[in-house]
Amino acid sequence: MTDGPLIVQSDKTLLLEIDHDRAAECRKAIAPFAELERSPEHVHTYRLTPLGLWNARAAGHDAEQVVDTLLEFSRYAVPHSLLVDVAETMARYGRLRLEKHPTHGLTLVSNDRPVLEEVLRAKKVAGMLGNRIDDDTVAVHPSERGNLKQALLKLGWPAEDFAGYVDGEAHPIDLVQDEWQLRDYQRDAAESFWHGGSGVVVLPCGAGKTLVGAAAMAHARATTLILVTNTVSARQWKDELVRRTSLTEDEIGEYSGAVKEIRPVTIATYQVLTMKRKGVYPHLELLDARDWGLIIYDEVHLLPAPIFRMTADLQARRRIGLTATLVREDGREGDVFSLIGPKRYDAPWKDIESQGWIAPADCVEVRVTLPEGERLVYATAEPEERYRLASCTHRKIDVVKSLMARHAGQPTLVIGQYIEQLDELAEALGAPVIKGETSVKERQRLFEAFRSGEERTLVVSKVANFSIDLPDAEVAIQVSGSFGSRQEEAQRLGRLLRPGTASDDGQAKVARFYTVVSRDTVDADFAQNRQRFLAEQGYAYRIVDAEDVSTL
Amino acid sequence: MERMAGKGYRSLADQLRAWSDQQLSRLLLARPDLATPAPQDSGQLASRSATRASITRALDQLSRVELCVLDALVVAGQTTPAELVPMVHAQPSSVERALARLLETALAWESTGGLRALTGVAELLVGGPTAGASGLKPRSAEPLTVPEVESRLAEISPEARVLLEHVLDHGGEATTDSSRHTVSPADARTPAEELLSRRLLVPRGGGTVVLPGEVGLVLRGGRTTLEPVDELPEVPTSARDQSLVDKVAAGAAFEVVRRVELLLDHWGTVPPSVLRSGGLAVRDLKAAATLLQVDERTTALVVEVAHAAGLLAVGTGPDGDPAWLPTDELDRWVTRDAAERWEVLARAWLDSPRLPALVGQKDPAGKTWNALVPELTGVHQVETRRLTLDVVGSLPAGGVLATGTGVPGVVARVAWLRPRRPRTRSDQVLWALEEASVLGVTGLGGLASFARPLLAGEDAAPLLDPLLPAPVDHVLVQADLTAVAPGPLESTLARRLQVLADVESRGGATVYRFTPGSVRRALDLGWTAVEVHDFLGSVSRTPVPQPLTYLVDDTARTFGSVRVGHAEAFLRADDESALTEILHHPQARTLGLRRLAPTVLVSDTPIDVLLPRLRELGAAPVVEAPDGTVRVAGPDQLRARVPRERRPAGARVARETAGVAAVVTAVRAGDAAAASRPADAPSLTPSGSLAALREAVERGSSVVIGYVDNHGSRSDRVVDPLSVEGGRLTARDHRADDTRVFAVHRITSVRAVG
Repeated sequence: MTDGPLIVQSDKTLLLEIDHDRAAECRKAIAPFAELERSPEHVHTYRLTPLGLWNARAAGHDAEQVVDTLLEFSRYAVPHSLLVDVAETMARYGRLRLEKHPTHGLTLVSNDRPVLEEVLRAKKVAGMLGNRIDDDTVAVHPSERGNLKQALLKLGWPAEDFAGYVDGEAHPIDLVQDEWQLRDYQRDAAESFWHGGSGVVVLPCGAGKTLVGAAAMAHARATTLILVTNTVSARQWKDELVRRTSLTEDEIGEYSGAVKEIRPVTIATYQVLTMKRKGVYPHLELLDARDWGLIIYDEVHLLPAPIFRMTADLQARRRIGLTATLVREDGREGDVFSLIGPKRYDAPWKDIESQGWIAPADCVEVRVTLPEGERLVYATAEPEERYRLASCTHRKIDVVKSLMARHAGQPTLVIGQYIEQLDELAEALGAPVIKGETSVKERQRLFEAFRSGEERTLVVSKVANFSIDLPDAEVAIQVSGSFGSRQEEAQRLGRLLRPGTASDDGQAKVARFYTVVSRDTVDADFAQNRQRFLAEQGYAYRIVDAEDVSTL
Repeated sequence: MERMAGKGYRSLADQLRAWSDQQLSRLLLARPDLATPAPQDSGQLASRSATRASITRALDQLSRVELCVLDALVVAGQTTPAELVPMVHAQPSSVERALARLLETALAWESTGGLRALTGVAELLVGGPTAGASGLKPRSAEPLTVPEVESRLAEISPEARVLLEHVLDHGGEATTDSSRHTVSPADARTPAEELLSRRLLVPRGGGTVVLPGEVGLVLRGGRTTLEPVDELPEVPTSARDQSLVDKVAAGAAFEVVRRVELLLDHWGTVPPSVLRSGGLAVRDLKAAATLLQVDERTTALVVEVAHAAGLLAVGTGPDGDPAWLPTDELDRWVTRDAAERWEVLARAWLDSPRLPALVGQKDPAGKTWNALVPELTGVHQVETRRLTLDVVGSLPAGGVLATGTGVPGVVARVAWLRPRRPRTRSDQVLWALEEASVLGVTGLGGLASFARPLLAGEDAAPLLDPLLPAPVDHVLVQADLTAVAPGPLESTLARRLQVLADVESRGGATVYRFTPGSVRRALDLGWTAVEVHDFLGSVSRTPVPQPLTYLVDDTARTFGSVRVGHAEAFLRADDESALTEILHHPQARTLGLRRLAPTVLVSDTPIDVLLPRLRELGAAPVVEAPDGTVRVAGPDQLRARVPRERRPAGARVARETAGVAAVVTAVRAGDAAAASRPADAPSLTPSGSLAALREAVERGSSVVIGYVDNHGSRSDRVVDPLSVEGGRLTARDHRADDTRVFAVHRITSVRAVG
């Protein structure tokens, strides 16, 4: 029995005691193959998953290293079955390889014939494979490269892709680092992506993922297609690229509902690509409009299913996914792995926070009690109405007001789900509201005003959940959310984490994140589910009663 | 052992009689079936040891070389050790060792004419070369000498030689159709006749010819087998540090103890019911597997081991049906150290004939085996398990079973040690290895050092103890409402914490999660919020995070806001004073009335009593239906139900009469049988006559038996007993001059001839 910091559980979770002397060393050693699941203050939980182990294989680690690491740091005996399982799982990766054959084109090659035979007989891959070239080699229809990888992953024999990438149409792109420098982790992320070929970079919100994308473009120096979640985000990408790289505005095209430009660097929204008219996707040709050398997927965790299908056809092009979390509410992490690529870079939020790149956050949940009348309405309401009723109680407006008073003068976002509630709040607070029907122009005007300090408060609906750049938001108050979405919670907190300037008294910026929930209702239940994700990221919530807000 | 002292013994019984107590007890230890029930005398002991069943059991305990020596002895007929040793293709020393064991177990004995195998052995030595049967027939009564055989072999044609070798390789026996059995070498027309004429094949009646043992021996170069028989199969090993082996095994040992405790704790509150077949339902096994987070195979092993250790037994469940319940032994068991607890389990497993590995598979009838069914046992399981562990334990120090090849090596070794084991043996070896690694007896394919004393029957716990994680007395409470115990919690602490929080992950450490539900559970059990806070404060090594404090207070706040009670009836009135009047009426005291609200009373009295009493008190109540309407009903007319069990009297009488008649018939038949028995027959006990017959078989002597034939007439016959088996005596009948079969129960007396 050693005195290691790690406890290996038989259910494949790894518990890492943070206060242990060797914790940092251990974390570094297990990070390549174990997925960080929770990182609260004392004990971090990692999990061994097939995907994680295959990620490690893809990054060049072998089973022996993994087993040795576990044995070295483990405090207690490691369950034998777990070690066997690790070895077996890792051995499954790379038995099959996709390779480029000089005469036959794309081929599936194996040095383990039984595996190849098993795979060939599987119904899932039928039709994707061509003629048998020799005992160990089968031709693959080039169009099925992505689908095959997806199917093989489902069969449990993930293929390693050695078939390489097309260079794409060359286009000079350079980073212009005049008044700024690429941060170390951004450079590392871009480089490990480039060496890996394709893959996903996981960085917290506010950690500068756009720059990782720009750095990747500077590596590729080729025409680039950037897929983003919405138009506002597309504009921000454009601004950022013009500012940080040698690209000029004329070289960057926007392909969205409003504008359809195809330029050497084109930024398209998921929405326009997945728009369906008469059963076909009319904008799909964009993907073939140019010989793209690099495709960037912003917010990979939101990638809609049709994009996955399209991505399956783009396997010969380099792909980089950017995200704050690989957690997908729909559980399609496996598709991300097989179609975009394995995780190439990952940094825990708290690490980046301690380096000062993102602001520390103080999270508080304020519980309000429904007034007698509303409680009665709530108790007798239909289940589907309950969440709205609980979320939209008028008591919350008073709490928001008193919270605003506490942080008077600080840039504040009030975020909610229900438009009527937001309208009501906007009126009560005398602040502008941004919602779905607000025009892009108006939105940009309001953001600009907020940035310049003209507006200190914005009331926003979920349209602002993603990729809006509000560098000076210091306080966020969320009054309602889309049920229990952990995703959304992370994104909303992310809005605050961009490091701000130190305040007048020299204190570094501390983000304030308030969630106002109704006690004893589904609102509180959903809030708990959403917060769990943040608590597991190490952002502990404090809970106070509405009556005690003044004592905060 | 007095090896061939003097000139041997007249019979096995004589030999046993001459044996020392020590030799006898060694025999009885080696063949325990001889000792139960206690034999009356050496004669009976010898007789019993010659029965087919007992010989089969004894043969099953022999290793390959021992079986080969016995086979050689059968081929040789009566012989001396000096002649026997070179007949076996093995080192002389191992042949001598094997022979000593055969004599010790009374499978061979020293007759006046030399060493002999028990008569029954010959036909039971089957199973081909791997089971020690060489396929050679016994030597003929007047064997040809080696030079004779050699010269005759030289004379025959190549075709005859091929034929002869074919017969040798296929059991030494053949049938001929047209060949003449008596023919001189000169007249021989076919290869078969060539061989018959030279007595290289010998006719045995009924068109069968056999190849005499002496010919077979010559053909095989003077030995019974071509291959050496004493080469122990190698078990491939790979190098592994013993400390690593121990570590892995200790990990498994800890897990199995934890799982047994977890499962039985759970079953203590929600016991699974006992199937009619006596087993555990598949559904319950699946649920247990989910609880333990292991596959069903491992779960079946855990369940079976707990049962074998006496921690799980059939009891009466909460609903009065039979259910699988932890025994009171569990309460003692949980208070002991983890290492001692493991020892209890491991020892129970070691001596258990159960076959948990079959659970979930189909039996020959196509029915799925359930865990814990009584039939799920194997007679050889304990022995195979021991042998397997012995083989693993005998690996050189620092060596473990090689991946892939190690396990087949063990199977081969065990097959060599016990060649006559059934076909399922390789499965049993695999199971034993698999179970041993799950239980932590082995680790990484090597025997754990702490398991060695276990196999030797000594205390293993002291060696295991330092390898197990030390119990901890604190947890780390975190803001995501989890608590982590970084090691096994002290038992009492664990139990208290389990009330307060749900277990999320188990293993070396335990992760607990606090939820409103789990905190409420604690409050239900009578904890107060203050107690919960104190408890958390005392077990947490770090400050209790604010959200948890809040959760406890918040749960305590809503706890008990709805009250539930029991009442038989309620009284409702819009007129508060009417209820007040009833409540305070002097005669209403016995009605158990309580006021819940100004307009509601409840009563402990059932409504049918309450109603007339209230009327007596002068109130005029009406009964209210569940939907609030008033129900008016007159008094019910009472009726009894027709008893179900009523049959016409005639049928019962007929049934009784029939039963009596059957008994009378049986009694009459018994009387008739007794009357037909002649009075003058010497009464022999059944076992006495059997012993006499078996002795005659061994000695090859003639006896006179009194026999009652098919027609009930009794006669004396002189016979040479050949075998006694399955209630039948096979003997050569002098009167018929042929081999006859006699039913042993019809033999009334056995006397020596003369």
